[in-house]
Amino acid sequence: MSNWQSPEATARLKKRYAAERRFKALGLIAIVLSMTFLAVLLFTMLKNGISGLDWAFLSGSDSTDPANAGVWSAVKGSILTMLVTLALAFPMGVLAAIYLEEFAPRSRWVDWVEVSINNLAAVPSIIFGLLGLAVFIQVMHLPRSSPLVGGMTLALMTMPVIVIAGRNAIKAVPPSIRDAALAVGASKVQTVFHHVLPLALPGILTGTIIGMARALGETAPLLMIGMRAFVSTPPGGVTDPSSVLPMQIFLWSDEVDQGFVQNTSAAIIVLLFVLIAMNGVAIYLRNKFETRW
Amino acid sequence: MPITFLLICVIGLGVIAWAMSRARSAHFAPVAGKLKLALPGHYGLYAAIWTVVPALLVAWLWTFISPGLVHGAILADPAAASLPAFDFERDTVLNEAFALAQNPDAFASNPIAQQLAPVIAAAQSKFGWMGAALSLIAALAGGSFGYTRVKAGFPARTRIERIVLVALLVASFVAIITTVGIIASLIFESARFFSMVSPIDFLFGTNWTPDTMASATSDMGDDLGAVPLFWGTFFIGAIIAMLVAIPFGLMSAIYLTQYASPRARSILKPMLEILAGIPTVVYGYFAALTAAPFIRDLATAIGITNASTESALAAGLVMGVMIIPFVSSMADDSIAAVPQAMRDGSLAMGATTSETIKKVLIPAALPGIVAGVMLAISRAIGETMIVYMAAGASANLSANPFERMTTVTYQIAALLTGEGSFDHPTTLSAFALGLVLFTVTLILNIIALRVVKRFREAYE
Repeated sequence: MSNWQSPEATARLKKRYAAERRFKALGLIAIVLSMTFLAVLLFTMLKNGISGLDWAFLSGSDSTDPANAGVWSAVKGSILTMLVTLALAFPMGVLAAIYLEEFAPRSRWVDWVEVSINNLAAVPSIIFGLLGLAVFIQVMHLPRSSPLVGGMTLALMTMPVIVIAGRNAIKAVPPSIRDAALAVGASKVQTVFHHVLPLALPGILTGTIIGMARALGETAPLLMIGMRAFVSTPPGGVTDPSSVLPMQIFLWSDEVDQGFVQNTSAAIIVLLFVLIAMNGVAIYLRNKFETRW
Repeated sequence: MPITFLLICVIGLGVIAWAMSRARSAHFAPVAGKLKLALPGHYGLYAAIWTVVPALLVAWLWTFISPGLVHGAILADPAAASLPAFDFERDTVLNEAFALAQNPDAFASNPIAQQLAPVIAAAQSKFGWMGAALSLIAALAGGSFGYTRVKAGFPARTRIERIVLVALLVASFVAIITTVGIIASLIFESARFFSMVSPIDFLFGTNWTPDTMASATSDMGDDLGAVPLFWGTFFIGAIIAMLVAIPFGLMSAIYLTQYASPRARSILKPMLEILAGIPTVVYGYFAALTAAPFIRDLATAIGITNASTESALAAGLVMGVMIIPFVSSMADDSIAAVPQAMRDGSLAMGATTSETIKKVLIPAALPGIVAGVMLAISRAIGETMIVYMAAGASANLSANPFERMTTVTYQIAALLTGEGSFDHPTTLSAFALGLVLFTVTLILNIIALRVVKRFREAYE
């Protein structure tokens, strides 16, 4: 039987502790390198873009001259597109989540709905663009490159995210709340809409904001439905040709003129600022209203 | 059709019906020995639904009927007699006239179109108002019917709830309709493509030189062999990106779950998640602006001649960084799902933390981690903007990461944003590529989701 204080055992232990430290350092390095990448990315954009960020840039429209080009037409296009997406995806997503969580019987149809929602959440975004192109533009003849078609396409993409977040939020509401409402004579529908839904709403809103933030940064599906036109006037309504902020970044990044490097970076700062603000609101909502039952 | 006017009227009528029915039901005397069947709000809602829904239904149907009526009115006009007899010319003139009727400043070269424009405008306005009137009649009729049903014994609550249930059911079927829509549109357009180009040429050909202007002849298949695209996609998304994402994602998950203090974790994890929230177009721009020139200089420094600015490596590396948080959170979940008892047992036997992780936690969490990697691959191969901006357009069957390479997603985007007509096989090949991409990601997702589910059940 070997003694744990023998030189061999001590050496062995030393080796094991060294391996332990190496492993821990590797983990730290992985995180630090990822953070460094993030820092370099943000720093590059700030360095290139911050001097181009002024009121004229925020309120101007696209132009062939980099000094006069601004982001307002693209921002307005983004706002209109997001309004369409929200108006379609939020009610649909919440209603579908309620049905699947509270009313759905165990049947093959419902299994199919669940499978398609889980898969849709992982389908590449460009495929939604192909769907939008084939159905909304070629079959339904809706106006090309309009916020309406863009918003509808993104709504199909965002809905599964909202459904999944909504189901989790509804699932987290304890059954005792439902039992109490049913016991005093509320119907199933009243129970859900008067008691379960208000309690689940913060969770649903958090999921919705995260889904909308993803939709706001999306470019590929909008490329498919032709939202890459040169738009020098802000769109007046949801059927006018328009651009969106990520698309404006993409179009400017393609320009040969060096002046557009500053514009592209400045537009990226605007986009990242909005996205970080949206995610901040989502985290705030989650922390403020999260109830542990 | 005067849509705004109609909407305001219909909603106004709905509100009136709601208020009247609500007021009426408020005075119902309780029926002796019976429970109340509905609240005043239910009666109000019931009448409002009967007002609004039929009206909107009529308006919607009218949008299908009225173009035919407008068309008939135009043909009956004397100016239409001088329309050219040939279908194509006739359609051109009519289209010009319609555009002119919509917008008086529109360009119209044909004098007949200018003559017809006012006729069209008049007909459109006439039939528009006719539709609005019909719709309002439907609103009034429906509203009156709903109002007459508001009686003491009428179970309005049950009726309303039945409608609510139907709405819930319809909403949840949107997901299925979307899936079916994706599959149907991809298969339909791909079938058109495969009727012109043989699937064997497409799936196994190694030469990809699409030309949307070439005449559609029978040897199109020689230029549309997609193997270089599949290789580029696989090389960038499943090899280079994963070489970055798997070690970094896994190690950061291990550090965050096993070593970091709760305080450090609460700061580091959201920061790592910022990486996942950055739009892909920003990564693409960063890859093209900073990463690609850096890699070109690196290639030149290690002695590779004619290194290009666009390279598979630049796109793959940046894509890998984008995927890190995804792999990390999947690994995080899988490790957290391993029962605490297994970890405690290993530590109690005298193993160090790293030994426990390597010998116990990772083997136990492996199915979940593998599923996470599969989902990550499915994400990487469907990613468009990074490769569009950094990987290049030339199809290249090569294992050299410093060369330009193109991917399935790049070609879909390039073919459909080009000037090609939608009947040309080269343009249609984008849908066939989409079908391949969809199928592959679907298989990856289904297997991964199944593994995750089974893995969770194993430890529950």
